[in-house]
Amino acid sequence: MLVLSATCIAILSVMALALARALKADTVYDRILGVNMFGTKTALFIALMGFLSGRPDFLDIAIVYALINFLGMIAVLRFFEYTAGDENQEQEK
Amino acid sequence: MIEIISSVFLIVGAFFSLTGAVGIFKFPDFFTRVHAASVTDSISTILIIFGLILRTDFDLVAVKLLFILIFMLLTSPTASHALAKSARHGGLLTLAETRSDKKVGDD
Amino acid sequence: MLLLAFGIISVALVLWLLHRMNNTDAEIQKLALNLSFIRYTMWLLGQVVLSSLTVTRLVWGSRKELKPTIGKLPVNKVPKKSRVLYANSITLTPGTLCIDIDNENVTIHALNEESLHSLKRGDMADKVPGENKGVS
Repeated sequence: MLVLSATCIAILSVMALALARALKADTVYDRILGVNMFGTKTALFIALMGFLSGRPDFLDIAIVYALINFLGMIAVLRFFEYTAGDENQEQEK
Repeated sequence: MIEIISSVFLIVGAFFSLTGAVGIFKFPDFFTRVHAASVTDSISTILIIFGLILRTDFDLVAVKLLFILIFMLLTSPTASHALAKSARHGGLLTLAETRSDKKVGDD
Repeated sequence: MLLLAFGIISVALVLWLLHRMNNTDAEIQKLALNLSFIRYTMWLLGQVVLSSLTVTRLVWGSRKELKPTIGKLPVNKVPKKSRVLYANSITLTPGTLCIDIDNENVTIHALNEESLHSLKRGDMADKVPGENKGVS
Protein backbone atom coordinates (compact mmCIF):
# COMPACT_ATOMS: atom_id res chain seq x y z
CA MET A 1 0.00 0.00 0.00
CA LEU A 2 2.84 2.33 0.88
CA VAL A 3 4.54 1.58 -2.44
CA LEU A 4 1.33 2.31 -4.33
CA SER A 5 0.97 5.66 -2.59
CA ALA A 6 4.60 6.51 -3.27
CA THR A 7 4.19 5.67 -6.96
CA CYS A 8 1.02 7.76 -7.08
CA ILE A 9 2.87 10.75 -5.62
CA ALA A 10 5.74 10.28 -8.09
CA ILE A 11 3.32 10.15 -11.04
CA LEU A 12 1.51 13.22 -9.71
CA SER A 13 4.75 15.18 -9.52
CA VAL A 14 5.64 14.06 -13.05
CA MET A 15 2.23 15.34 -14.18
CA ALA A 16 2.89 18.66 -12.42
CA LEU A 17 6.28 18.95 -14.13
CA ALA A 18 4.75 18.17 -17.52
CA LEU A 19 2.11 20.84 -16.98
CA ALA A 20 4.80 23.32 -15.94
CA ARG A 21 6.67 22.48 -19.14
CA ALA A 22 3.49 23.04 -21.15
CA LEU A 23 2.84 26.40 -19.50
CA LYS A 24 6.41 27.66 -19.73
CA ALA A 25 7.49 26.68 -23.22
CA ASP A 26 9.31 28.29 -26.13
CA THR A 27 7.43 26.78 -29.05
CA VAL A 28 3.96 25.40 -29.55
CA TYR A 29 5.41 21.89 -30.04
CA ASP A 30 6.88 21.96 -26.55
CA ARG A 31 3.42 22.68 -25.23
CA ILE A 32 1.96 19.76 -27.15
CA LEU A 33 4.74 17.52 -25.85
CA GLY A 34 3.94 18.51 -22.27
CA VAL A 35 0.22 17.98 -22.75
CA ASN A 36 0.81 14.58 -24.38
CA MET A 37 2.97 13.47 -21.46
CA PHE A 38 0.35 14.75 -19.05
CA GLY A 39 -2.33 12.70 -20.80
CA THR A 40 -0.41 9.41 -20.83
CA LYS A 41 0.55 9.86 -17.20
CA THR A 42 -3.08 10.56 -16.33
CA ALA A 43 -4.15 7.22 -17.78
CA LEU A 44 -1.48 5.50 -15.68
CA PHE A 45 -2.50 7.51 -12.63
CA ILE A 46 -6.15 6.51 -12.97
CA ALA A 47 -5.11 2.84 -13.14
CA LEU A 48 -2.93 3.25 -10.04
CA MET A 49 -5.72 5.10 -8.25
CA GLY A 50 -8.09 2.19 -8.90
CA PHE A 51 -5.69 -0.16 -7.17
CA LEU A 52 -5.10 2.25 -4.32
CA SER A 53 -8.80 2.58 -3.54
CA GLY A 54 -9.44 -1.13 -4.14
CA ARG A 55 -11.84 -0.60 -7.04
CA PRO A 56 -10.35 -2.00 -10.28
CA ASP A 57 -13.38 -0.70 -12.23
CA PHE A 58 -11.36 2.47 -12.69
CA LEU A 59 -9.42 0.63 -15.40
CA ASP A 60 -12.27 1.14 -17.87
CA ILE A 61 -11.91 4.88 -17.37
CA ALA A 62 -8.17 4.56 -17.91
CA ILE A 63 -8.72 2.76 -21.23
CA VAL A 64 -11.16 5.44 -22.38
CA TYR A 65 -8.77 8.19 -21.29
CA ALA A 66 -5.89 6.65 -23.24
CA LEU A 67 -8.08 6.43 -26.36
CA ILE A 68 -9.32 10.00 -26.11
CA ASN A 69 -5.83 11.32 -25.40
CA PHE A 70 -4.42 9.70 -28.54
CA LEU A 71 -7.26 10.93 -30.74
CA GLY A 72 -7.02 14.45 -29.36
CA MET A 73 -3.26 14.51 -29.88
CA ILE A 74 -3.56 13.43 -33.52
CA ALA A 75 -6.30 16.00 -34.14
CA VAL A 76 -4.30 18.87 -32.61
CA LEU A 77 -1.20 17.86 -34.57
CA ARG A 78 -3.16 17.66 -37.83
CA PHE A 79 -4.30 21.20 -37.15
CA PHE A 80 -0.85 22.57 -36.33
CA GLU A 81 0.99 20.76 -39.12
CA TYR A 82 -0.75 22.97 -41.66
CA THR A 83 -1.36 26.25 -39.83
CA ALA A 84 2.17 26.58 -38.40
CA GLY A 85 3.70 26.24 -41.88
CA ASP A 86 1.34 28.93 -43.20
CA GLU A 87 2.30 31.32 -40.40
CA ASN A 88 6.00 30.87 -41.17
CA GLN A 89 5.42 31.57 -44.83
CA GLU A 90 3.44 34.68 -43.98
CA GLN A 91 6.27 35.89 -41.76
CA GLU A 92 8.77 35.31 -44.54
CA LYS A 93 6.65 37.36 -46.86
CA MET B 1 7.31 -12.67 -2.72
CA ILE B 2 5.21 -11.52 -5.68
CA GLU B 3 4.40 -8.34 -3.81
CA ILE B 4 8.10 -7.52 -3.39
CA ILE B 5 8.74 -7.99 -7.13
CA SER B 6 5.73 -5.83 -7.91
CA SER B 7 6.96 -3.12 -5.53
CA VAL B 8 10.38 -3.14 -7.20
CA PHE B 9 8.72 -2.79 -10.62
CA LEU B 10 6.53 0.10 -9.44
CA ILE B 11 9.39 2.00 -7.81
CA VAL B 12 11.77 1.56 -10.74
CA GLY B 13 8.97 2.67 -13.07
CA ALA B 14 8.33 5.76 -10.97
CA PHE B 15 12.06 6.51 -11.03
CA PHE B 16 12.21 6.30 -14.85
CA SER B 17 9.14 8.48 -15.03
CA LEU B 18 10.81 11.15 -12.88
CA THR B 19 13.93 10.82 -15.05
CA GLY B 20 11.90 11.71 -18.12
CA ALA B 21 10.28 14.63 -16.34
CA VAL B 22 13.70 15.99 -15.37
CA GLY B 23 14.88 15.35 -18.91
CA ILE B 24 12.23 17.52 -20.53
CA PHE B 25 13.52 20.43 -18.45
CA LYS B 26 17.21 19.72 -18.83
CA PHE B 27 17.61 18.89 -22.50
CA PRO B 28 18.51 21.80 -24.75
CA ASP B 29 16.20 21.60 -27.75
CA PHE B 30 12.85 20.23 -28.83
CA PHE B 31 13.93 17.01 -30.54
CA THR B 32 16.02 15.87 -27.57
CA ARG B 33 13.07 16.61 -25.29
CA VAL B 34 10.96 14.21 -27.33
CA HIS B 35 13.48 11.49 -26.43
CA ALA B 36 13.13 12.30 -22.74
CA ALA B 37 9.34 12.10 -22.98
CA SER B 38 9.59 8.80 -24.84
CA VAL B 39 11.44 7.31 -21.84
CA THR B 40 8.41 7.93 -19.67
CA ASP B 41 6.10 6.68 -22.39
CA SER B 42 7.81 3.37 -23.03
CA ILE B 43 9.70 1.90 -20.11
CA SER B 44 7.87 3.45 -17.21
CA THR B 45 4.51 2.41 -18.67
CA ILE B 46 5.78 -1.15 -19.15
CA LEU B 47 7.19 -1.36 -15.63
CA ILE B 48 4.23 0.21 -13.81
CA ILE B 49 1.61 -1.84 -15.68
CA PHE B 50 3.56 -5.05 -15.11
CA GLY B 51 3.86 -4.14 -11.44
CA LEU B 52 0.10 -3.69 -11.27
CA ILE B 53 -0.56 -6.95 -13.15
CA LEU B 54 1.44 -8.83 -10.50
CA ARG B 55 -0.93 -7.44 -7.87
CA THR B 56 -4.09 -8.80 -9.50
CA ASP B 57 -5.51 -12.32 -9.31
CA PHE B 58 -4.74 -12.73 -13.05
CA ASP B 59 -8.36 -12.38 -14.04
CA LEU B 60 -10.25 -9.86 -16.19
CA VAL B 61 -8.46 -6.99 -14.44
CA ALA B 62 -5.09 -8.26 -15.66
CA VAL B 63 -6.47 -8.53 -19.20
CA LYS B 64 -7.68 -4.92 -19.04
CA LEU B 65 -4.27 -3.78 -17.83
CA LEU B 66 -2.65 -5.71 -20.68
CA PHE B 67 -4.98 -3.91 -23.12
CA ILE B 68 -3.91 -0.54 -21.70
CA LEU B 69 -0.26 -1.55 -22.06
CA ILE B 70 -0.57 -2.76 -25.67
CA PHE B 71 -2.61 0.28 -26.63
CA MET B 72 -0.12 2.70 -25.10
CA LEU B 73 2.84 0.91 -26.68
CA LEU B 74 1.14 1.19 -30.08
CA THR B 75 0.00 4.79 -29.82
CA SER B 76 2.79 6.62 -27.99
CA PRO B 77 5.40 6.11 -30.76
CA THR B 78 2.78 7.17 -33.28
CA ALA B 79 2.06 10.33 -31.31
CA SER B 80 5.73 11.24 -30.92
CA HIS B 81 6.38 10.50 -34.60
CA ALA B 82 3.49 12.78 -35.59
CA LEU B 83 4.79 15.45 -33.22
CA ALA B 84 8.34 15.29 -34.60
CA LYS B 85 7.11 15.23 -38.19
CA SER B 86 4.87 18.23 -37.75
CA ALA B 87 7.63 20.12 -35.92
CA ARG B 88 9.96 19.32 -38.81
CA HIS B 89 7.42 20.51 -41.37
CA GLY B 90 6.76 23.57 -39.25
CA GLY B 91 10.40 24.50 -39.76
CA LEU B 92 12.02 23.66 -36.45
CA LEU B 93 15.73 22.88 -36.77
CA THR B 94 17.63 20.31 -34.76
CA LEU B 95 20.50 21.27 -32.51
CA ALA B 96 23.18 19.99 -34.89
CA GLU B 97 21.72 21.98 -37.77
CA THR B 98 21.53 25.20 -35.74
CA ARG B 99 25.16 24.74 -34.72
CA SER B 100 26.33 24.18 -38.29
CA ASP B 101 24.35 27.25 -39.38
CA LYS B 102 26.17 29.30 -36.77
CA LYS B 103 29.53 27.92 -37.91
CA VAL B 104 28.77 28.81 -41.50
CA GLY B 105 27.69 32.28 -40.38
CA ASP B 106 30.87 32.74 -38.35
CA ASP B 107 33.09 31.70 -41.22
CA MET C 1 -30.72 -8.60 -22.66
CA LEU C 2 -31.77 -5.13 -23.76
CA LEU C 3 -28.19 -3.88 -23.39
CA LEU C 4 -26.92 -6.77 -25.48
CA ALA C 5 -29.44 -5.93 -28.18
CA PHE C 6 -28.29 -2.31 -28.16
CA GLY C 7 -24.71 -3.50 -28.54
CA ILE C 8 -25.56 -5.67 -31.52
CA ILE C 9 -27.55 -2.83 -33.12
CA SER C 10 -24.70 -0.34 -32.72
CA VAL C 11 -22.15 -2.77 -34.15
CA ALA C 12 -24.42 -3.39 -37.13
CA LEU C 13 -24.92 0.36 -37.58
CA VAL C 14 -21.18 1.04 -37.59
CA LEU C 15 -20.57 -1.77 -40.07
CA TRP C 16 -23.30 -0.48 -42.34
CA LEU C 17 -21.95 3.09 -42.16
CA LEU C 18 -18.43 1.93 -42.97
CA HIS C 19 -19.73 -0.08 -45.89
CA ARG C 20 -21.65 2.95 -47.14
CA MET C 21 -18.57 5.14 -46.86
CA ASN C 22 -16.87 2.59 -49.09
CA ASN C 23 -13.98 2.76 -46.75
CA THR C 24 -13.22 -0.89 -46.14
CA ASP C 25 -9.67 -1.72 -47.01
CA ALA C 26 -9.53 -4.24 -49.82
CA GLU C 27 -5.86 -4.90 -49.27
CA ILE C 28 -5.52 -6.84 -46.05
CA GLN C 29 -2.11 -6.49 -44.49
CA LYS C 30 -1.79 -8.39 -41.30
CA LEU C 31 1.21 -9.69 -39.50
CA ALA C 32 0.98 -13.25 -38.39
CA LEU C 33 0.90 -13.63 -34.63
CA ASN C 34 3.35 -16.50 -34.64
CA LEU C 35 6.47 -17.51 -32.78
CA SER C 36 8.81 -15.16 -34.61
CA PHE C 37 6.63 -12.18 -33.78
CA ILE C 38 6.65 -13.12 -30.09
CA ARG C 39 10.41 -13.60 -30.18
CA TYR C 40 10.76 -10.18 -31.81
CA THR C 41 8.60 -8.62 -29.09
CA MET C 42 10.78 -10.09 -26.37
CA TRP C 43 13.94 -8.85 -28.12
CA LEU C 44 12.37 -5.40 -28.50
CA LEU C 45 11.54 -5.25 -24.78
CA GLY C 46 15.17 -6.01 -23.99
CA GLN C 47 16.31 -3.27 -26.38
CA VAL C 48 13.89 -0.81 -24.75
CA VAL C 49 15.36 -1.55 -21.31
CA LEU C 50 18.96 -1.20 -22.54
CA SER C 51 18.45 2.04 -24.44
CA SER C 52 16.42 3.65 -21.69
CA LEU C 53 19.29 2.96 -19.31
CA THR C 54 21.50 4.85 -21.77
CA VAL C 55 19.09 7.78 -21.92
CA THR C 56 18.81 7.81 -18.12
CA ARG C 57 22.58 8.10 -17.88
CA LEU C 58 22.44 10.99 -20.35
CA VAL C 59 19.71 12.76 -18.36
CA TRP C 60 21.47 12.60 -15.02
CA GLY C 61 24.93 13.08 -16.50
CA SER C 62 26.51 16.23 -17.82
CA ARG C 63 25.23 18.03 -20.86
CA LYS C 64 28.46 17.63 -22.80
CA GLU C 65 27.86 13.95 -23.50
CA LEU C 66 24.79 14.89 -25.49
CA LYS C 67 25.49 14.71 -29.21
CA PRO C 68 22.21 14.66 -31.09
CA THR C 69 22.60 13.53 -34.68
CA ILE C 70 20.27 13.13 -37.59
CA GLY C 71 20.62 10.59 -40.37
CA LYS C 72 18.95 8.74 -43.18
CA LEU C 73 18.68 4.98 -43.38
CA PRO C 74 17.72 2.93 -46.43
CA VAL C 75 14.59 0.90 -45.84
CA ASN C 76 14.73 -1.31 -48.94
CA LYS C 77 15.62 -4.45 -47.04
CA VAL C 78 12.54 -4.29 -44.85
CA PRO C 79 9.43 -5.75 -46.51
CA LYS C 80 6.65 -3.32 -47.21
CA LYS C 81 4.10 -4.63 -44.79
CA SER C 82 6.35 -4.50 -41.76
CA ARG C 83 7.74 -1.03 -42.38
CA VAL C 84 5.25 0.54 -40.03
CA LEU C 85 6.31 -1.94 -37.37
CA TYR C 86 9.94 -1.09 -38.05
CA ALA C 87 9.41 2.68 -37.74
CA ASN C 88 7.28 2.21 -34.64
CA SER C 89 9.98 0.07 -33.04
CA ILE C 90 12.60 2.72 -33.82
CA THR C 91 10.50 5.36 -32.11
CA LEU C 92 9.57 3.10 -29.20
CA THR C 93 13.16 2.56 -28.13
CA PRO C 94 14.24 5.71 -26.30
CA GLY C 95 17.19 7.48 -27.86
CA THR C 96 16.12 7.04 -31.48
CA LEU C 97 13.19 8.81 -33.07
CA CYS C 98 11.82 8.26 -36.55
CA ILE C 99 11.00 11.67 -38.02
CA ASP C 100 10.01 10.87 -41.58
CA ILE C 101 9.46 7.79 -43.71
CA ASP C 102 9.02 7.42 -47.45
CA ASN C 103 9.56 4.67 -49.99
CA GLU C 104 13.34 4.54 -49.79
CA ASN C 105 14.52 6.17 -46.60
CA VAL C 106 13.66 6.76 -42.98
CA THR C 107 14.98 9.94 -41.35
CA ILE C 108 16.14 9.26 -37.84
CA HIS C 109 17.04 11.59 -35.01
CA ALA C 110 19.26 9.99 -32.39
CA LEU C 111 20.52 11.20 -29.04
CA ASN C 112 24.05 9.88 -29.51
CA GLU C 113 25.91 8.45 -32.44
CA GLU C 114 26.22 4.91 -31.12
CA SER C 115 22.51 4.20 -31.29
CA LEU C 116 22.40 5.52 -34.86
CA HIS C 117 25.34 3.29 -35.76
CA SER C 118 23.71 0.21 -34.29
CA LEU C 119 20.62 0.96 -36.39
CA LYS C 120 22.81 1.42 -39.46
CA ARG C 121 24.35 -1.98 -38.89
CA GLY C 122 20.82 -3.27 -39.38
CA ASP C 123 20.24 -5.25 -36.18
CA MET C 124 16.61 -4.24 -36.01
CA ALA C 125 16.00 -4.41 -39.77
CA ASP C 126 17.15 -8.05 -39.80
CA LYS C 127 14.97 -9.03 -36.90
CA VAL C 128 11.68 -7.45 -37.98
CA PRO C 129 9.31 -10.32 -38.78
CA GLY C 130 7.29 -10.65 -41.97
CA GLU C 131 9.81 -11.61 -44.63
CA ASN C 132 9.34 -15.35 -44.27
CA LYS C 133 6.13 -15.37 -46.33
CA GLY C 134 7.91 -14.29 -49.48
CA VAL C 135 5.02 -12.08 -50.64
CA SER C 136 6.38 -8.71 -49.47
